[in-house]
Amino acid sequence: MAPQPAARPLLSRRGSGWLGVFQAMASPCEVHVGDADLATAERVVAIAAAEAHRIEAKFSRYRRGNIVDEINTAEGRPVVVDDETARLLDYAARLHELSDGKFDVTSGVLRRAWRFDGSDRVPTEEAVAALLPIVGWDKVRWSAPELTLPPGMEVDLGGIGKEYAVDSAAGLVRPVSARCLLNFGGDLLALGPQYGGAPWRVGIESVAEGGAVARHIDLTVGALATSGDSRRFLFKDGKRYGHVLDPRTGWPVVEAPRSVTVAAATCTEAGMLATLALLQGGAAEAFLEAQSVQFWALR
Amino acid sequence: MQLKNRRNAALREIGTPLAAATCALLGQSAPGVVQAQELMPWDIDTSMLIYSESDGRVQDLSLNLWGRKELREDKFLGLTLAIDSLTGASPSGAMPANVVQTFTSPSGNSQYTVAPGEQALDTSFLDTRTALSASWEMPVARLGLLSVGANLSDEFDYTSTGVNARYARDFNNRNTTLSFGLALANDTVSPVGGSPIPFSPMLGLGDLRNKDGDQSKDVTDFLIGVSQVLNRHTIIQINYSLSQADGYLTDPYKLLSVVDPVTGNPVGGPPGSGRFGYLFESRPDTRDKQSVYALLKRNVGGDVLEVSYRYMTDDWDIDSHTIEARYRFNFGASRYLQPHVRFYQQSAANFYTTVLFAGAALPAYATADHRLGEFDGLTLGLKYGQETSRGSEWSARIEYYTQSGNASPGAAVGALANLDLYPDLNALIAQFSYKFGKR
Repeated sequence: MAPQPAARPLLSRRGSGWLGVFQAMASPCEVHVGDADLATAERVVAIAAAEAHRIEAKFSRYRRGNIVDEINTAEGRPVVVDDETARLLDYAARLHELSDGKFDVTSGVLRRAWRFDGSDRVPTEEAVAALLPIVGWDKVRWSAPELTLPPGMEVDLGGIGKEYAVDSAAGLVRPVSARCLLNFGGDLLALGPQYGGAPWRVGIESVAEGGAVARHIDLTVGALATSGDSRRFLFKDGKRYGHVLDPRTGWPVVEAPRSVTVAAATCTEAGMLATLALLQGGAAEAFLEAQSVQFWALR
Repeated sequence: MQLKNRRNAALREIGTPLAAATCALLGQSAPGVVQAQELMPWDIDTSMLIYSESDGRVQDLSLNLWGRKELREDKFLGLTLAIDSLTGASPSGAMPANVVQTFTSPSGNSQYTVAPGEQALDTSFLDTRTALSASWEMPVARLGLLSVGANLSDEFDYTSTGVNARYARDFNNRNTTLSFGLALANDTVSPVGGSPIPFSPMLGLGDLRNKDGDQSKDVTDFLIGVSQVLNRHTIIQINYSLSQADGYLTDPYKLLSVVDPVTGNPVGGPPGSGRFGYLFESRPDTRDKQSVYALLKRNVGGDVLEVSYRYMTDDWDIDSHTIEARYRFNFGASRYLQPHVRFYQQSAANFYTTVLFAGAALPAYATADHRLGEFDGLTLGLKYGQETSRGSEWSARIEYYTQSGNASPGAAVGALANLDLYPDLNALIAQFSYKFGKR
């Protein structure tokens, strides 16, 4: 995917508020601004879009010359990273530990074997096994601010990036207006109600074809993030291979829900809980129950 | 054992360390809050209503179910189901007499008698009505709202189908809403035993020579309305509506007594029928109605006052006035008490006549249906509503209705002068409603 110049966000009137739309991180992004004048709405949308584009440019593994590219092309040499990247790597390390190795930012190379395009092209066991030596955060040497990856290994922060961008943009937007909802490709956060105490009405798409709304959630403040994508899978010999891979085996987690939506104070927290839940496979709901969070799982 | 331990490890509580790690990532000092609430897939309202007229007249048990669902953003599907069960007796239009009167039932194959001095009630009144409707509501541009709907109702002798559309648009910073509505309906009546030929006499048992087949009518309703927010506390609404009915507007079960112009006693009916003289009523086959409605709604220190007035006039010369007021006392956020008063008055249709006189020429149209006579009605009611902790709402309403009217001028001749030609009507209405909560 080639980098695209950041187009100016489109702003339109929506009820008593405003809606700004733009494209970032390969997703449609929306910024809803409640009761506000045009100038405020324009500022909010511009700030949010700029932050989304900044994070995409800095952490996308598809871009050349950014910090992720530098790490992935270091060929075993240590790379000194900036403060923000260090915080993300600390976070990734903590998630790896909390998930007993199921969450792993080095697992992206498994995509060389797995292409979830709805076909029946399930890779051979040999092809998957051949990649395992270059997967595993435990093989990485991370001592902030210095990261050393064994040659051939790669880091992909895409699993955290979108949710992190929502929270980061929200932090920048807050001083301008708290009456807004940021929605970056389905991961969203409400800084506060639209007007008065009016919540934002959020629909969760059903996993069925056509994407009709399966549930409605009134979100007043806080975040909702969804993991799972019914359109990314392989199907062979009557067996469905979901796109969530267990980095320890290189194979899809079995019996995972097709979609998990979690509510939390921050989008990153919600997103990580949703991802960790999917990694539990059949125990996803039990895992979320144990976390005492509001969640909606679709199977 | 090993496996079990591993599973427990997988399901351990990681929320706290995860929240702490996320705070560190985002540079936040303390975790924030989340307030999210799932909405019911459907908004559902239900209600049960009992309408009970005094003296064993009409009794209605009505069950209603109303559902609404958002299918796509800002697009709503609405469905309603209503089931009415009607029993009791309905005034036939015939007048009381000083003798026993015998009537043939509408079916033509049974008869009933009415004691001297008693109001003539047709006791064979029994029906179940089922009504279904569906509507689809969607925004049009930024300030418009369009809804379209269809409805179907069916009872033993009556079928109604209709379609409707309504468009509303906001202006003036959403302080003004202009709306237009159009409804088309087609009704078919298939009376028990056939529809009587207008002004044909009541015949004896089994004699159906005066009966015809099914009848139908078309009704077109048009509405234009404006609502205006006057200030933070007050809103007014004014509607004008036009209704045009075309077709069979006669009530196939209503009669007129034919009496002697001097004595007021019933005269003999068709030879061999064993009946006095009763003719089936006859109404014009078109009716144009116009009405104007004005509503004022005002917030009075947290309570809500609603006052409305409706004026209706039609080309049958019926003019009516309705004045209605409600005051909602709010007790805190979740309980309210709402008294209701309604006063109604109407003039008689120009072909309303309490009786027909023997020997006089028949008018073009005639009815003795009390509902087309001159009368006034008063409704007094009280409603109590409460919201439960789970966000559901229930309410109970009780109302009392009393109606009194007048016979047509010059009707009270001879014996009729001492009889009650327009009996008062009293009815009790009780309703219980429940709206399912959203949490």
